[in-house]
Order: sequence, then structure tokens, then C-alpha cells
Amino acid sequence: MITGIGLLTPLGADAAGFFDALSAGRSGLRRPADAHPLAGILEVAGFAPDVDPATVLPPSEARRVDRFVVLAMAAADAALADAGIAVGRDADPARTAVVLANAFGGLGMFEAEAVAREAGGHTAVSPYLLAGMLPNMATARIAIKHGVRGYSSTISTACASGAYGVAEALRLIRDGLADVVVCGGAEAPLLPTAATTFRNSRALAGGWADPAEASRPFDRRRNGFVLGEGAGVLVVERAEHAAARGRPAYAEVAGWGVATDAYHPTAPRADGTGAATAMRLALTDAGLAPADVGYVNAHGTGTKRGDAAEARAIRAVFGAHAPAVSSVKGVTGHLLAAAGAVEAAATALALRRGVLPPTHNLDDPDPECDLDHVRKAPRDTAAGVALSNSFAFGGHNVSLALAHPGGP
Amino acid sequence: MSADVVAFTIESLRQMNFDVDGAGADTVFGPAGVDLDSLAVAELALRVEDAYGVKFGEEDMERLAIMTLGEFAADVSARASSLDGASK
Repeated sequence: MITGIGLLTPLGADAAGFFDALSAGRSGLRRPADAHPLAGILEVAGFAPDVDPATVLPPSEARRVDRFVVLAMAAADAALADAGIAVGRDADPARTAVVLANAFGGLGMFEAEAVAREAGGHTAVSPYLLAGMLPNMATARIAIKHGVRGYSSTISTACASGAYGVAEALRLIRDGLADVVVCGGAEAPLLPTAATTFRNSRALAGGWADPAEASRPFDRRRNGFVLGEGAGVLVVERAEHAAARGRPAYAEVAGWGVATDAYHPTAPRADGTGAATAMRLALTDAGLAPADVGYVNAHGTGTKRGDAAEARAIRAVFGAHAPAVSSVKGVTGHLLAAAGAVEAAATALALRRGVLPPTHNLDDPDPECDLDHVRKAPRDTAAGVALSNSFAFGGHNVSLALAHPGGP
Repeated sequence: MSADVVAFTIESLRQMNFDVDGAGADTVFGPAGVDLDSLAVAELALRVEDAYGVKFGEEDMERLAIMTLGEFAADVSARASSLDGASK
């Protein structure tokens, strides 16, 4: 059961406001200011709220960690508070786990230290670099702060990472290894070198006068994704544990499926077979059939090939039982390793509220992406089951099956 | 200028570790020729942009990927000469 949600996204720092913005189609994307280091590199980006590191870490540590760690810690604090859990009081520290995902690690801190070394020699390099940038430091520092003594791990499967974190949580609970899992992903890739490589690989949306129009999943005029930063953390809790505490749940994590393309470092299989297999496995794992699914929260990044391949995969899995489909990336941009967790949260909130958020900027659906799109306005739903898809560079495909906490 | 662009392109592809033995204006970028993937097309575009001062958009990439070297060179030459015209 998902009993806590903590989000820091281009749509703000609270989960309820996040879902309201999704539903209303309020874009979180903007043009970097003229003085920003990304001006001239990115036309548009999704900036998460500023977080003062001193609000999540002791002052002596606060200046010595990468932004991805700070975002992860702030989201974890929010998710645990939302679940009403103080580890040690409401959950056994030895049966509490942390699985945070990221793709870039602390690339920003590394870049800054590399530049400092070039300019100032070896004495300019901080002894705190590794403790601030290693990919496992989000997991580790959440564990340190909250006294988590059980299982901990870090997942890195590029843009699918956050959803893998949620899948791992379900496995830990099913295997009897944890009662409470703090899981999700965090990413801070809005950095000159990282942004430039995305730009030079021609993966990013461009040429839009209004930055709010740049991210347009499944639309005929889409021309790439919008790079964003953020964190999404969920508290996934054993159902009996949540019930014993009298806590309501947003949704049940009912199943997961993973399949690998074995095809290309960056391009998806055009026929979407890896994605389709992941969705089928998630349904099988949850003991559900395609006809049970009322909504698919698509990976839908806004790239030509990726969106077409995903649409093909969804049609292959569901055939005549076409579920409603939308992507949140029209307003959030692509939060890379945070995306899967943020979107699992969006999916859980959609089931809980009975409202499907629309795909922003889907003005003219591409015939190659023929699906039952939720667009222009949110749609009321009685859906009991939804899938949340995440696909990645490297050919990692994951699908999560979420169910209304009252049962499918 | 086209012949110069063909030679530059072949040398660039050689530096990118593609097999360009026997490649010429009729060689295709696609699987039947040097077999460039999307990132290789993007890298080649960057090299040509640097060398000739031209610009390619994201929407050009799929078109470039299926050209012959000769067609590509003609495209680059046309872009470069329209650039010259614009700057005069």
C-alpha cells in the first residue's frame, strides 16, 4: 500500500498541488533566465523548487552534498510525514528499507570540482566530494537521517529508475524483508555539460515561442522532450502494517513487470515489444487481465520514436479493451530517474480521486499514436486498476500495476 | 564545394570509427551503407556545423539519416551558400 507521497517537481513541493496542476494543465516548464548557466543551452527546462540544504541536513553537512541528494531527502521527509511514520516509533528500524534511484549521481558536484581543480590545482578539490556525489548517497543519507536499519539499495536504470524503486519495494514486502519501504527516485541534471549532451544528441524539444508548449507527448508536432529535475518518494507499506496503524492508502502496488530490449543504447525497439512485455508481466504479476485496466499513465516523453513505440505497445497489449491514456510530462517535462516515482504517485492519486489528468499540449494526436487519449480536460473515472510505464536508455522497460486501495 | 564536403564527411566518419573503405558520394548513411544510428547522425551533424557554419534542426535528423553522402554534401553546400548570401 502507498501510504505516503513526497514530491518536488516543476509543479511545486506538495502532492495535492501537484495533482491539481496536472489536472488543470498548468505547466511547470520555463525558459532559463538570461543569467542562468543553462541560458543558451536549454530553450526550456523543468526546475524543481529551491530547497535550502540546511532544511534537510545539519548545517555542517548542508553545503557538501549534491542537489539530487537534497531533493531526495526533502521528498523522503515529506513522504514519511505524509504517512505519519517516525521510524522507531511507527515502524521497526530493522524492518524499514530505503531504495532510492538516480541516473546521474552527483554530476553537478563532480563538474564543479573538476572545474575547481583545473583552475586551482589539487588543493581546490573538496574531500567531501564522494560523500556528496556517489549515487548511493540519497539512499544512505535518508537512512542516516531517519534511522533506517533494514535493507537499503540504489537503482540506476536511467529514465526507468524511479519505477524500478517502487517495484523493488513491492518485492521486499512480498519477500517478508520489510514492513515499510521508502522508495523512489531523484535527479538533478540541469547542469551545463549534461544539458549540452542532450542538446547535441538532438533529443530535446526546440523552436517553441512559449516554453509551456514545448513538451507535447503524442502530439503530431512534438519534437523532443524537455529536461527537468525533481524527486518522487513513496512510502510503500505492508497492508496489515498500515491497517494496524489505521492509515488510509492512496493505492495498492499490485504488480510489476520488467523486460529488456537488448537492442540499442538509446533507441527503443520501434515495435514496442519490450514495453508490451513489461505491461503484460505487470498484469500477470498482479493477477489481472488487460480488461481490468482503466488507465495507463504513459512514459510519453514527447520524442517522435518513443511515443510511437509506446502507443504501438499499448495497442498490442490491450487490443479492443483500450484504456484511457495520458502522460504528465506535458507539464512536468522529463525528470529522468525521478519520473517513474513521480508518475506512480500521479497514478495513485488519479485512482484515489477518480480523476484522470490530461496530456498537456495534445492538440492534434499523431495518427501513429492512436489511443484513447485524455486531453484538453481531466476525465472522471471509476477505474480500479492502472498501469504506470517507464522506459529508459539502455532498453530497460518497467510497468507498475496500481489498484484502488478498496480493491480492483 | 560538394566534393570537399564528401571528403570531410568520410574523414569524420573514419575518426568516428566507422568503416568507410571504398565509401563515396553514392554510399548511404543507412543500414545498407555506413549504418549510422541516431547519435552518430547527431555527432556528424555537429562536426559539419562546426566546420561549415551551417545549422541542422532536430527535424532534419531523420532526413539526413537516409541520404547518400553526395546528397548530404549537396544539402550542406546549399545551406552554406544561402548562409553566404545572407551575410552579404
